[in-house]
Amino acid sequence: MENENIIDKNDLVLVTGANGFIGYRVVEGLLELGFQRVRCFARSSKGGNRLEALAKVGGVGSRLEIVSGNLLSPQDCANAATDARVIFHLAAGRGEKSFPDAFMNSVVTTRNLLEAAAGNGCLKRFVNVSSFAVYSNQHKSHGKLLDESCPVEQSPALRGEAYCFAKVEQEQIVLEYATRRGIPYAIVRPGQVYGPGNEGITGRVGIGTFGIFLHLGGSNTIPLTYVDNCANAIILAGIKHGADGQIFNVVDDDLPSSRKFLRLYKRHVRSFPSLYVPHVMSYALCYLWEKYSEWSHDQLPPVFNRRRWHTYWKSTRYSNEKLKKRVGWMPKVRTEDGLKLFFESCRVRRASA
Amino acid sequence: MLRVAIIGCGKIADSHASQIGRIKGCEIVGVYDREPLMAQQLAKRFPIKKAFSSLTQLLDEARPDVVHITTPPQGHFDLARTCLEYGCHIYVEKPFTVWADEAEKLIAIANERQLKLTVGHDDQFSHVSRRMRSIVRNGFLGGSPVHMESYYCYEISKAGYSGALLGDKKHWVRRLPGKLLQNIISHGIARIAEFLAGDSPEVITYGFTSPLLRSMGETEIIDELRVIIHDVDGTTAYFTFSSQMRPGLHGFRIYGSKNGLMLDQDQETLIKLRGAQYKSYAEKFVPPIVLAGQYLGNASLNLKTFLGNDFHMKSGLKFLIESFYRSIIEGTPEPIPYREILLTSRIMEAIFKSLSESVAEPTKDYVREHAATVV
Repeated sequence: MENENIIDKNDLVLVTGANGFIGYRVVEGLLELGFQRVRCFARSSKGGNRLEALAKVGGVGSRLEIVSGNLLSPQDCANAATDARVIFHLAAGRGEKSFPDAFMNSVVTTRNLLEAAAGNGCLKRFVNVSSFAVYSNQHKSHGKLLDESCPVEQSPALRGEAYCFAKVEQEQIVLEYATRRGIPYAIVRPGQVYGPGNEGITGRVGIGTFGIFLHLGGSNTIPLTYVDNCANAIILAGIKHGADGQIFNVVDDDLPSSRKFLRLYKRHVRSFPSLYVPHVMSYALCYLWEKYSEWSHDQLPPVFNRRRWHTYWKSTRYSNEKLKKRVGWMPKVRTEDGLKLFFESCRVRRASA
Repeated sequence: MLRVAIIGCGKIADSHASQIGRIKGCEIVGVYDREPLMAQQLAKRFPIKKAFSSLTQLLDEARPDVVHITTPPQGHFDLARTCLEYGCHIYVEKPFTVWADEAEKLIAIANERQLKLTVGHDDQFSHVSRRMRSIVRNGFLGGSPVHMESYYCYEISKAGYSGALLGDKKHWVRRLPGKLLQNIISHGIARIAEFLAGDSPEVITYGFTSPLLRSMGETEIIDELRVIIHDVDGTTAYFTFSSQMRPGLHGFRIYGSKNGLMLDQDQETLIKLRGAQYKSYAEKFVPPIVLAGQYLGNASLNLKTFLGNDFHMKSGLKFLIESFYRSIIEGTPEPIPYREILLTSRIMEAIFKSLSESVAEPTKDYVREHAATVV
């Protein structure tokens, strides 16, 4: 019983951020599972073209409804949420450096959508796609397990990272609507989602800001999840019994260390010089940067600080047990294969740049 | 203690809250945004007493002395008028108003009520801009400016603000008469306005949508603008706005009858251009060495300012706000003369009026030449 679906395949499901890196794969995954009514909400008309191309694939057109709009518009949200049984909410202010912009595009939009969902009268589940960025990871010793029971940042603004602030606030507003308006929900927190379409090296491995690539991850495990695996986890969190009111971390099996990832990247994509910064030193640098930022009233903004170090560069183990047990998720793409596809995509992107 | 309020809690409000926090003798007593969540997020991150959910509540309960208006420009006039009517001094973000006559009305109300106002042309108060102003005032140019060149570029990408603008046909920027230009160019125009003597210069405008934007299906947004300004006393100026040229300059050049000055806002460098020439081959060797020395001097000064902890990215904003508050408390002159605010508004209105009358369409030859890039 636990793994049966809460909705019928003829029920309407809504995917926001449907032309995004993960959202598009969620749409594809839902179609593959046989869902007959998938409403795709996308902001830009350019991204809509990819969905329109998907709609032209034989037999898909009648199952796909593309709605363009802006989640900042309550009316657009109401239109999108009408009759939706499950809402997969992936649209977010990703990549925003400004706190207000990230907040507006993640929190205000989510509030609008929740308000619309609360009024649609038939919602079975609201799946909020969040991030590992919300975890504090501060008060754990090195190498400890990070799972769904770990605390989130209590003062996310102090991380100096707009995305973290917006995601913590977004989760809070989902919980508020669940309590106040009885919205059934599940929260999915993916680790580092990778795959064709997102060709950068995650900051958990290192940063190239200062001219030379600083390798900060060292022997740390990188919490990767291949985009198709992540999309599948999101879908299962939306349709399976046993996920109501639950939080799910998404990471794949057989995760590589930062050192291994960087070595493979250099071998398969491009070679470049990098400088390993031991954990003690990166922590000290983050501490000094944070203190200087405070002392100088943000002459250097606090983009490097101890909170950030704990989240991204502290040695940590990860688990996907809950996802496997509760909703029966298994990574379809093995990490080894996922990395091959990723590196191939990086090579193609570089060649065409 | 000066009581300060902020209306409009978007991106630029962060800069205001942050810089106000560095100024002694003032406190932020309240913030308001039409979207209550936005007001709350600002109040959570800065030392702000209260987030209000209505404008009148903010003005009645928080009783601010000064209100910073940091909303989209369409709201500036009504909000500024309401605040002035409540007896508040106002700092209005750029562009000051949508229309020039609105700027005139606000200045009239402020004068009538003996209140002060200013506009967010903070670039003119960066360290390098202040150095330039001081040198000009000391007569380095040799009289009135003969010619000026102002560059204000803006890189359009698919991310962030410009991505949102390009992807959203209902974006508030599109509803401005001058669209993207109106939201951005006032910094560059104000630099010219500062040194013009007349009140109604001739403005000749040419604008078009870049091939890149056209290839993305964009036809409404003009992102390439060239302007010639001719003042009554013969002073001329070029203004360039471009989303495509690289480097994307934010700079200003001013030439007098004796010497010139070249300011780079991004690098915070100011170079003195000597009017007289050296004799013969000396002109080929001496000026490059002198220029190298000047650049070295700029680098050294920037480093010194940084080490002195006064080189914040928004140091111009802090200086402008501080000067404005001083003008309120001590009765010193406003940091930006009202004449300059009005002139900037009038020049901008002339530009947008001209563009709306004849949006330059690329010629047939131009289209043929660029056909390969138009998908």
